[in-house]
Amino acid sequence: MARARKGALIQCDPSIKALIIQIDSEYNDIILEELDETHILVDPRKVEYIKQELNRLLSKNIYNPLEEEEEE
Amino acid sequence: MTSVEDDKVKAEEKAVNFPAMSQSFFSDSESDATDDNVFSGNENNDVGHDDVIQQDDTNDLDYDKDSVTHPPTSRMRQKKNVTKRGRSKKNTNSGTIGRLAAKDQNFLYSNSNTDLPADFQPDAVSSMFRSHDFSYLKLRPDHASRPIWISPSDGRVILESFSPLAEQAQDFLVTIAEPVSRPSHIHEYRITAYSLYAAVSVGLETEDIVSVLDRLSKVPVAPSIINFIKSATVSYGKVKLVIKHNRYFVETSQAEILQMLLKDSVIGPLRIDADQNQQNQGIIRKDGEVSAIERNVNPDDVESVFSAVVGGDNELEEEDDDLDAVHAFEIANQSVELVKKRCQEIDYPVLEEYDFRNDNRNPDLDIDLKPSTQIRPYQEKSLSKMFGNGRARSGIIVLPCGAGKTLVGITAACTIKKSVIVLCTSSVSVMQWRQQFLQWCTLQPENCAVFTSDNKEMFQTESGLVVSTYSMVANTRNRSHDSQKVMDFLTGREWGFIILDEVHVVPAAMFRRVVTAIAAHAKLGLTATLVREDDKISDLNFLIGPKLYEANWMELSQKGHIANVQCAEVWCPMTAEFYQEYLRETARKRMLLYIMNPTKFQACQFLIQYHERRGDKIIVFSDNVYALQEYALKLGKPFIYGSTPQQERMNILQNFQYNDQINTIFLSKVGDTSIDLPEATCLIQISSHYGSRRQEAQRLGRILRAKRRNDEGFNAFFYSLVSKDTQEMYYSTKRQAFLVDQGYAFKVITHLHGMELLPNLAYALARERRELLQEVLLKNEEAAGLEVGDDADNTIGRGGHSHKKGKSRIHRGEGSLAGLAGGEDMAYMEYSTNKNKELKEHHPLIRKMYYKNLKK
Repeated sequence: MARARKGALIQCDPSIKALIIQIDSEYNDIILEELDETHILVDPRKVEYIKQELNRLLSKNIYNPLEEEEEE
Repeated sequence: MTSVEDDKVKAEEKAVNFPAMSQSFFSDSESDATDDNVFSGNENNDVGHDDVIQQDDTNDLDYDKDSVTHPPTSRMRQKKNVTKRGRSKKNTNSGTIGRLAAKDQNFLYSNSNTDLPADFQPDAVSSMFRSHDFSYLKLRPDHASRPIWISPSDGRVILESFSPLAEQAQDFLVTIAEPVSRPSHIHEYRITAYSLYAAVSVGLETEDIVSVLDRLSKVPVAPSIINFIKSATVSYGKVKLVIKHNRYFVETSQAEILQMLLKDSVIGPLRIDADQNQQNQGIIRKDGEVSAIERNVNPDDVESVFSAVVGGDNELEEEDDDLDAVHAFEIANQSVELVKKRCQEIDYPVLEEYDFRNDNRNPDLDIDLKPSTQIRPYQEKSLSKMFGNGRARSGIIVLPCGAGKTLVGITAACTIKKSVIVLCTSSVSVMQWRQQFLQWCTLQPENCAVFTSDNKEMFQTESGLVVSTYSMVANTRNRSHDSQKVMDFLTGREWGFIILDEVHVVPAAMFRRVVTAIAAHAKLGLTATLVREDDKISDLNFLIGPKLYEANWMELSQKGHIANVQCAEVWCPMTAEFYQEYLRETARKRMLLYIMNPTKFQACQFLIQYHERRGDKIIVFSDNVYALQEYALKLGKPFIYGSTPQQERMNILQNFQYNDQINTIFLSKVGDTSIDLPEATCLIQISSHYGSRRQEAQRLGRILRAKRRNDEGFNAFFYSLVSKDTQEMYYSTKRQAFLVDQGYAFKVITHLHGMELLPNLAYALARERRELLQEVLLKNEEAAGLEVGDDADNTIGRGGHSHKKGKSRIHRGEGSLAGLAGGEDMAYMEYSTNKNKELKEHHPLIRKMYYKNLKK
């Protein structure tokens, strides 16, 4: 029997896709389907969470001199 | 959307805001300038707004580079100490370097709004700026013609470099403040205790500094700044130690200070009563003769800048009269060290000057610049700071790579005309220095000796030149008979002048050994990049002397002294397979993955082909030796790294210089400094030493001296290849900070057009990429490491440290075989060593000077 599920389509760079897969690997409740290198179908309720996690992970790779100053 | 892009959007927003504001704020550039030398500062519009924005983002990197960093918690305690000590001593009211550093800190962090005028009414937006609301400083009516603004809270100086007065203001600011960031339109400087120390040591007086600042400033100079300048300069440079006729004199321009010194319990008895009559008052009146010479020596020194800015000579004459009346007393040679120490303790640190013209004991060296040698204006300016009053001061001169540091050193040596010793970082540069000396001046080859591991001949004449390396001189291990003989020769005589090349790489401990072993009257440090990732730079201030001059990179490249460079950061997306592995791996292995990223490889291949077709000579830099070999072998290019034999190196370099077929070479860290390749016009960097700003600048230096730099429209290229979404992005931005502060703009290239179409593109197939990935994953972590040794940073820096580590790491224990295999109770023991402790090592003397307050 055919089943229909709601999903959000994300288009992104391959590297971001890899990151999303990593985020997903914890509970396996985000990704519905990996379509190809740059497209991925996810649970629409998790979109905000994905955004937030991506921001967190990627900000580690950004050098911000102002931040450092505040820490001092 | 990724957040990287989000950030870019933000940056763009900022870009829109910032120039808009600055334009409206400073728009009135039609100035009624008081000076005749009006010139347009707008001729260099080419770099544009990007600079301004980048400056905005990065100008705080060196926030505390020139002052000792203390943890914030200890700040209050220091403050108390300062006041307590001040009370306990009657004669002094200000600090030594240590306390001044603390003062610097207090000043930088204290809330400045204490000097708010009583009638100040905060307006609607004041609350947004909190302690940074300086609207109470009223703009002067003619503010448009005045180029600077000084922040009352932290001593930052903002200079409009397009102002007609900018050039003079810049000369002045370089003397009294540290340049923080100098892109094309707005410059930023910072007034610190050290920079004021340097200013005083080149002969500026407190009042002059304040009055010139006041003349240049758009708003009245805040009382907090004036107080800071006063407190920092009051005791500096007031006492000088001068060597004349080989007798040591303590000199001061103020009679009270001299009286105070003579009454001092330690210094008083050390005075030699050579000339009874004059010594009754403790004063020797110097005749005006010397100062007359002094004034002729440099038409170009700071005071002339003053007169241009101040606009009148009257003040100047008075000052000169004051200077003429020098009060001095003599001390014995053997008590010099004692006096220096005591002066330090009573907060009047002595400045050392060498009166080489009147030094008759040390034989003169027959050395002069050849008539064909031409000195560029900035070289002259830097030297005028050094020989400001006809005597040689010790200090550091900062010039970009390729701007002729060597010639500055040689000219200084020719001015002093005494025996010279030159220390540099490697034997390659030893030969270069010697060759340059012979090329530029009249020095005879027999007077020019070299001291390296394979050459230990000394000159036979009474005076001469010796070139050597730091490690040869500072070596503490057993020496061969020959080199011991040379060392005895070096330490056994008095040197007029010592040149210390690339001073930024030398650690303090080694420096002290060198400086104490060799008795030299004047010390000159040369460097391109006075930055370090640790806080050891400030030690140099004390060991050599203050920074005398720092050149502006952009200005030099506009005038064609160094090449014009286009910098670009190429973003290479990680392929999916590599990125998945990247996320899984440990930090060190990650590094290998982002360096070996196939997209990066392709970008590198593409850029090499593109530039070879243009006729450029390309150097590819990689810190990682594994990657270096992989890249070079795959592309069929020659490469040099630490273990390449000397003969092969020379062969490759020669081919690169003269052979049309060899247009690209791969270099590891060994090429960062010393290797001089004026043919190179394009640099590609594929891996680097984390966030080292200095390495980035040194590498850029490889192409600054490009031979073709004066060709019409010539540009050199500097590419930094970065794997997107990895840690490398972080380091890359950090590395660029120094160059951005010098005014370089990095373009970001996200896509290289035509890269996919390149025939024989490497790793174009998914299968090849997977094979590469397999290969990389099989490599152990060692391959990911950086090359050890064989570059200036490592060989020199390591000596002392590895020694100490060796001591603490090796333990001798007894145990049965069963025990070692885990058969007994104890299975595992951890020896923890505190890494922080290793970091905090300073020489006792430096600790005493800088960290005095911390201990108490």
